Amino acid sequence: MKIHAFSVKPILALLTAAALGIGPARAGGLDDILKGLLKPPPAETPRQPTTPTAPTQPAAPTQPTAPAAKPEKPRDQLLKALLGGNASPEEEARIGQQIAGNLLGAAPLVRDDTLQRYVNRVGRWVSLQSERPDLAWHFGVIDTDDLNAFAAPGGYVFLTKGLYRKLRNEAELAGVLGHEIGHVIRKHHLKLLQQSQGIAALGGFLGRKLKDESQVVQNLIGNGAEIVARGLDKDAEYEADRIGMVLTARAGYDAYALPAVLAEIGHVAKSDKSVSLLFKTHPLPEDRLEHLSEAAGDRLDGLPEGQAGEKRFYRLR
Amino acid sequence: MRVVLIGLFWLAWGAALAMGTPPRQAAGPGEAAARPEGAASVMLRDDDLRTAPSASASVVKRLAKGASVRVVASEGGWTRIAAGGASGWVRVLSVRQGAQGGADLAGLVEAGTTARDPGRVVAVAGVRGLDEAVLKAASFNAAELQLLGGYALGRAEAEQFAQAAGLRASALPYLPSPGAAANNASWKGNEP
Repeated sequence: MKIHAFSVKPILALLTAAALGIGPARAGGLDDILKGLLKPPPAETPRQPTTPTAPTQPAAPTQPTAPAAKPEKPRDQLLKALLGGNASPEEEARIGQQIAGNLLGAAPLVRDDTLQRYVNRVGRWVSLQSERPDLAWHFGVIDTDDLNAFAAPGGYVFLTKGLYRKLRNEAELAGVLGHEIGHVIRKHHLKLLQQSQGIAALGGFLGRKLKDESQVVQNLIGNGAEIVARGLDKDAEYEADRIGMVLTARAGYDAYALPAVLAEIGHVAKSDKSVSLLFKTHPLPEDRLEHLSEAAGDRLDGLPEGQAGEKRFYRLR
Repeated sequence: MRVVLIGLFWLAWGAALAMGTPPRQAAGPGEAAARPEGAASVMLRDDDLRTAPSASASVVKRLAKGASVRVVASEGGWTRIAAGGASGWVRVLSVRQGAQGGADLAGLVEAGTTARDPGRVVAVAGVRGLDEAVLKAASFNAAELQLLGGYALGRAEAEQFAQAAGLRASALPYLPSPGAAANNASWKGNEP
């Protein structure tokens, strides 16, 4: 996978070069290609990852249309940002919003205000323990009996009702949300788009005129919410497990809650339909537990015992 | 015939023990959920069996990865196990705990158990699973996204919740990846 990740950029660069008719001598680096591809905006300095500059609203809950007068077309901005690996917080939120809206088109929120508010309280508290505490975090339980959880860029985190039913306490909920928060803060899905969808997206960008920004974003993420069905690198899943465990502990919960959920999921028959997508897109629970075991070693020996939050845990009827 | 019936009974009983939620929910907040039978489990890595749930307790013996053990109880980061006549404590993450009440019954009985969950049976009839086809065909639902936005909380509200719940934040460094290759900077995120 590493090899794959490292080999994509040169290929991309060459493809871009080919598409634009640039000679191989100029196809040295991605940045050069992008400079050739995109006319630099007249009065804008190069994008700074630390300072958000775009004045657009990050996470308006409706599907926004293209902003009117912009020095650089949104599609070019997005393309450049994604291929360069530095999408602004606004662009990140815009992509996440599209994925989240599509996912909710596949499975709506469980109609239970108390549940949704509860999950947002726990999730938001866990997110505060991360290095991106001020993202526009959204948490939701979606109405399907499948066992799964999803993250989308910009702070969107979902778990299914089926998985929620498997949880025994608040710490386990925190652990599951912590894993997904890990995907968001390490931008795993943005990297997936950048690496494997990049070529296809580029083809789309260059090949046809897209009417508005939402079309651009949709073109980037593929059909519907298929990106969440594609699965990440298994190292990304292991990393999210390690982060989930640590965030759970930082938030004052039992650090071993996420491993407990993994063990519980591991007891579900592999042939059960409710876990088919989960097991297809994640390493098996036993492998994830083994990884966590190795990663933790004796590092958690002195950890103060956290809360299970069993009494507070909201149980579905 | 009688033997078969008794066998079936044991199987069903094991299933109820292994998968039923009520016994586990009944376990108090004290974390020490006693499991008298002991769950057939396996060591995930080499670790020391100790006389008490502490890294400073004396070592009974070394257990190798893959060794069969039975988990008797868990307490925080430690779990009490029985292994080949000896008993003691190992780190909870060093053991993969099997389903309670027996060997690998979990898979065998899963179908029967789900059918017993009334809430689940009703839902299965109405809601289709989230498979690739469903996700791929999904179209943007602005109303649901708006609903989701209505539940979002700010930092202050989350801190209020934590304070009321007695949850205190603490510092704990991230766990490094155990594989040297995965320590590569390419997975380290884009944070400045």
